[in-house]
Amino acid sequence: MTGPVRIGDLIRQRRIIVCCGAGGVGKTTTAAAMSIAGARAGRRVLVLTIDPSRRLAETLGVSRNPKDPVRVPDDRQRAAGIAAPGQLDAWMLDPKLVADSAVRRLTKTPEDAEKIISNRIYQQVSTMVAGMHEYTAMEALHRLVNEGKYDLVVLDTPPSRHALDFLEAPRRLSGLVDSRAISAFLPSADSLVGRAASKVIQAILGAVFGEEFAVEFVSFLSTFTGIFRSLNVDVNEMRTFLSGADVAFLLVSSPAPETLNEAYFFQDKTRELELPFRGFVLNRSRAAMGERPMPPAELKGDVVLASALRKFRAIAEQEQHAVLRDRALLAELGQRAGKDATALALPEFPQGADDIGTLVAVADQLAAG
Amino acid sequence: VFNKRVVLITGKGGVGRSVVTAALAKLAVKAGRRVLVTEIGEEGEDYSPLAKHFGLARLPKAPAPLGENMMGAVLLARTGQELFLKSVLRSGTVARAALASESLRRLLSAGPSFREMGVFFQLLSYLRQKRDAEPEHELILIDMPATGHALALTGLPEQLLRLLPRGPIADSLREGQSYLNDPKLGSAWIVTLPETLPVSECLELIDGLEKTRMPVGGVLVNRLPDDPFTTEERAALTPMVNEQNWLGRQLFHRPLLALREVARLRSNTALPIVTLPELPHAFVVDDLVLELDKARLVPLAPSSRGK
Repeated sequence: MTGPVRIGDLIRQRRIIVCCGAGGVGKTTTAAAMSIAGARAGRRVLVLTIDPSRRLAETLGVSRNPKDPVRVPDDRQRAAGIAAPGQLDAWMLDPKLVADSAVRRLTKTPEDAEKIISNRIYQQVSTMVAGMHEYTAMEALHRLVNEGKYDLVVLDTPPSRHALDFLEAPRRLSGLVDSRAISAFLPSADSLVGRAASKVIQAILGAVFGEEFAVEFVSFLSTFTGIFRSLNVDVNEMRTFLSGADVAFLLVSSPAPETLNEAYFFQDKTRELELPFRGFVLNRSRAAMGERPMPPAELKGDVVLASALRKFRAIAEQEQHAVLRDRALLAELGQRAGKDATALALPEFPQGADDIGTLVAVADQLAAG
Repeated sequence: VFNKRVVLITGKGGVGRSVVTAALAKLAVKAGRRVLVTEIGEEGEDYSPLAKHFGLARLPKAPAPLGENMMGAVLLARTGQELFLKSVLRSGTVARAALASESLRRLLSAGPSFREMGVFFQLLSYLRQKRDAEPEHELILIDMPATGHALALTGLPEQLLRLLPRGPIADSLREGQSYLNDPKLGSAWIVTLPETLPVSECLELIDGLEKTRMPVGGVLVNRLPDDPFTTEERAALTPMVNEQNWLGRQLFHRPLLALREVARLRSNTALPIVTLPELPHAFVVDDLVLELDKARLVPLAPSSRGK
């Protein structure tokens, strides 16, 4: 890599940007602004997000839960300053549909898919299978990038308590469907010992769930895991795919100490997994605000104004302290980022950043970063 | 508020949910209740946001005293699953053998809703515990992690009962429901901030909880900024602040924006809303206890402010 990493360059040059971060740091909004910045720079962009806010979907004028990505309506694109050849698609997905689409893609025939999707156990539990959202987000990303319809896909990782869940979840899912782990539940284990073990486990399942359900459950498991068995290969393939030179991982954080600690941890983890970590986005930071003057010590006016001004100077000083603290934080993140990554601050929008004007303002800051 | 058996404290990350849970627990003890304060933990995870408010690195796996009339424990899916298997199989040996099985362990850690089931069952076992025919834990407070987890837990009984209408799991789920879904015994409180997004998410969460038939006790709006300016002072200064790009402008407008968000919350829900002031040190539980005490956990009149 030549020269320092810049977020704006990543948006203009990479094919995939993965936005990670703990819940509540403004990750979805940042991903949306990033996709707008890419489209404003003349690229064909898709933003892929799972479980987005109602308001963001409204702002972009797209329905939630369509079957495929949808074009952001022309008037919204114009309002966001996007002009051809730039274009913006969005895919805002419900976790339930995500699971169904994964089943459809992984089964050999539509009949197999319907058999699973119409199973009542599946219907109740599909969205609760650990790692399902994350796995499907990766799967959709892989497919959409390979179709070549987009110059850039921005992935907003599924909401979770920890930024790391996105990286760990597919392994958990593949652990579940690991053929050795599952075979013990199925009636036809290979060895004598295996048969004995599976008999014990089935007896336990029977006692816990009741005979009737246990039988149904085991048959469901065998169908369900049958199709996901190909997953082990896929998870590795996905990891190779995500470590490519076209990919950039960005970690969105707020200045709160807990989310920062997590950000550092995430950075270490990406290194360990050899994923291309390219930067921190420090959201809701006062470091992103330009130079502003202190209010004057005196103003012409009555006693009310004088007392108001005295109070105002006190809060101005408070804000000054906060600015200095956030700048120090940004500098620290920059240092942590090293030469292969960067750190960029975005300001706080007290009324939310989900309206088109604010999204464009954030997009411009990202593009210039 | 405290005249219940189980109270869930929920809300998104960063709103101060854990410190509020700790403060509520202390207040409940003051109100004469025997309290068990819990949080939902992850297997093999050392980080506990709640424990630090009691001067601990993490909460114990089984209830242990944190103070007078106050016990603490972490709710772990694995512990609950173990308890459940033991009670169903009526044999510790078989249960242990079952749990030692790699297959079952994997299934339970990743499988559909087994984690919530474990947590649910552990909670139920604490609700059942008796001392001299009285409940051992009069009030159980739970610090619930992300809002999604809260809904997964409160929605669990109904979802699973559709699958498993009979059997030992169904019996436990119904027993749990008899606590959680009875407004006399269970309630959920939502902690939020007086800001646009948190308030919108709070309103969505109220809907979500009500859909799972979880009674919602009310909303605690944390960190309501104090307004140092009088109405006259604001009137005199506002035109200039809007014109000049002075430092301090954000903090100047913040109290009004916050009040507007509280008003929006109030106009969109009939639930009790309690505001808590912004404290200089975010983690001083005892200050928060005083503030909660002052608030008396009754709804404030529409015109009143946090301070």
